[in-house]
Amino acid sequence: MANLLSLVDINKIYGKKVQTHVLKNINLEYEKAEFTSIIGQSGSGKSTLLNILGSLDRPTSGRVYAEGKDLTTLNDDALAIFRNQMMGFIFQFHYLLPEFSALENVLIPHWLDRGSAQAEKVTLAKELLERVGVSERMNNRSTDLSGGQQQRVAIARALINRPKIILADEPTGNLDSESATQVNGLMREINQEFKTTFIIVTHDNHIAAQCDRVVEIKDGMIVQDYPTAEKTKQENWENLAPCYCLQKEGLVEWKQSN
Amino acid sequence: MFIWKAALRFLIEGRSQTLFIAVGIAIGISVLVFLNILITGLQQDLVNTTVGDSPHIVVTSREDPLQSLFNPEDDILILSRSGGMFDTSRPFNDWQYVMDQLGNRELLSAISPVAEGSGFISRGEKTVSIRARGVDLNRADGIYNVRDRLIDGDFVVGKNQVLVGIGLAEELDLTPGDLIRLSALEGNGGEPGPANPSIAGSYSVRGIFDLGSQAVNSSWVFISLEGGQSLYRLSDGVTSLELQLNDVFQAEELARNLEKSYPSLSWSSWEEENPDLLSALSSQSISSYVIQAFVLLAVALGISSVLAVSVMQKSKQIGILKALGISTAGVSRIFLIQGALLGLIGSILGSVIGGFLLWGFFTFTADETGEPLFPITFDPLVFIMAIAIATLAGMGAAAIPARRAAKLNTIEVIKNG
Repeated sequence: MANLLSLVDINKIYGKKVQTHVLKNINLEYEKAEFTSIIGQSGSGKSTLLNILGSLDRPTSGRVYAEGKDLTTLNDDALAIFRNQMMGFIFQFHYLLPEFSALENVLIPHWLDRGSAQAEKVTLAKELLERVGVSERMNNRSTDLSGGQQQRVAIARALINRPKIILADEPTGNLDSESATQVNGLMREINQEFKTTFIIVTHDNHIAAQCDRVVEIKDGMIVQDYPTAEKTKQENWENLAPCYCLQKEGLVEWKQSN
Repeated sequence: MFIWKAALRFLIEGRSQTLFIAVGIAIGISVLVFLNILITGLQQDLVNTTVGDSPHIVVTSREDPLQSLFNPEDDILILSRSGGMFDTSRPFNDWQYVMDQLGNRELLSAISPVAEGSGFISRGEKTVSIRARGVDLNRADGIYNVRDRLIDGDFVVGKNQVLVGIGLAEELDLTPGDLIRLSALEGNGGEPGPANPSIAGSYSVRGIFDLGSQAVNSSWVFISLEGGQSLYRLSDGVTSLELQLNDVFQAEELARNLEKSYPSLSWSSWEEENPDLLSALSSQSISSYVIQAFVLLAVALGISSVLAVSVMQKSKQIGILKALGISTAGVSRIFLIQGALLGLIGSILGSVIGGFLLWGFFTFTADETGEPLFPITFDPLVFIMAIAIATLAGMGAAAIPARRAAKLNTIEVIKNG
């Protein structure tokens, strides 16, 4: 059976006169229900990689397959339909539509799919908001919600069309540590409950350490791609664990990773 | 529909901006409505004053029967007899038939046969040249509205009973009951003047009218149709049929249609007879339309620029909607709908303001008796057209911003937080 999502020899070059080779021969495969992260420093090309995985951007060369279907042959509108049905997005800056209430924001992907809301989807949206703990404020404008609440609404929105893949770009980047912990826990629960594949782009190793698989990208190339379970606890900690964890337990002194 | 919902929410969210442009559109549309109704009213009034109480189409005989009656070599006679429009030498003999045929037409409000010609009236030493018009008074009343404009005497004519214009009455010092001598000047080329009348007779003045035109008042004399026919030796013929229409502005078209059905007759509309009036009307219309077009252009540019700003403001929302799977056409439609809604709301508001402007104009320019300067009609079609055009213009104006929105790059928007 074909992989859920795979990239084959992906190159991405920006600019015409001054060319920037952002992604170099990337090959990646994702299976159903994987909970994975892509790590790398800013400028490493991880966001571009996510955009290509999410069909928001087209590669300069190479192929993107979703369940065996070549996405690079689709036009923009076909890609839009594909995204609507297959993908959920969670962004760093939340990106709820301020003109709509929390509940309406959750329903937008469904509206875009069907034109108007079906009663069962409204029920689902309410359940999802309950699930992410924002049901009490579902009729509030999104601007009246805290950052953590907004991000949880965005997670509910990503789930409304029951997508197979959720792409998250620094989902906790703008949240305080408590909200970040909640959001991370929530994504993990959803992954297990709905067997949704998660691809989380982050520069926070703490989050990466909680994922089943880590893809590290540097200068547009994949330098590491491994399941965290394969590594020993010590290795993972050395690779990924943020210093404050170790520090907290008195294991090491403050040390700059990388 | 989500698209509609989004368009509405975007408009409502930008409250002050929406209100501002809506008021701008409203002012433009109110000017449009005001100008349109004012000019239409003015033109209607002008036309009514000018041709309202006169025939809209005059039917005369085209053929010259004398040509077949007389020897063609005797061309002096023929030349002298062909001439004026109402030349009595070209009698219109089958008028009864034509009148019966025309009687069924709904467009016509009045048909009046006329047997007329030039002549003189003498009273004492004074002699005045006149135009004697033999009519069926009730039919002629349908066109000239004589009964209501009779200022003295009775509404009656006969073979020897006439109505005269007030100008004529003053010049000859006539009052109802006075006797006058009327001589017809037949088209025989003879020396005009009382010394050489073809037919003359004694008539009594029954009434005096004022038709509002000095030329008419000082020359027209109404006698009965039979009186006219015998005066000008027309036997059963007339010189013309005069038609009046319910809608003045259909005269030319109707005249041309009837000309096709009755090619032997000459159909001449008021528009042909009044080319100056017609060109004045049309240049007035054109300048009014030019002003309206520029107002509409200003309105459209206003909508366009406000929506262009809105696209910038909403770029984040557009980016996220694109990520969530909206089609490019869907993005465009959100802005097209906003343009149309702005046009619609603005023009409804503008129609109300325009209505008030008209009301104000006619209230404050009314004379002491409260009569407006000229009558106007609040034609609902003007308002409906203004709203429809503004809505379409709004949608058209939104085309460029909508295209820009559709082309927005999702990644750029998301990346820049």
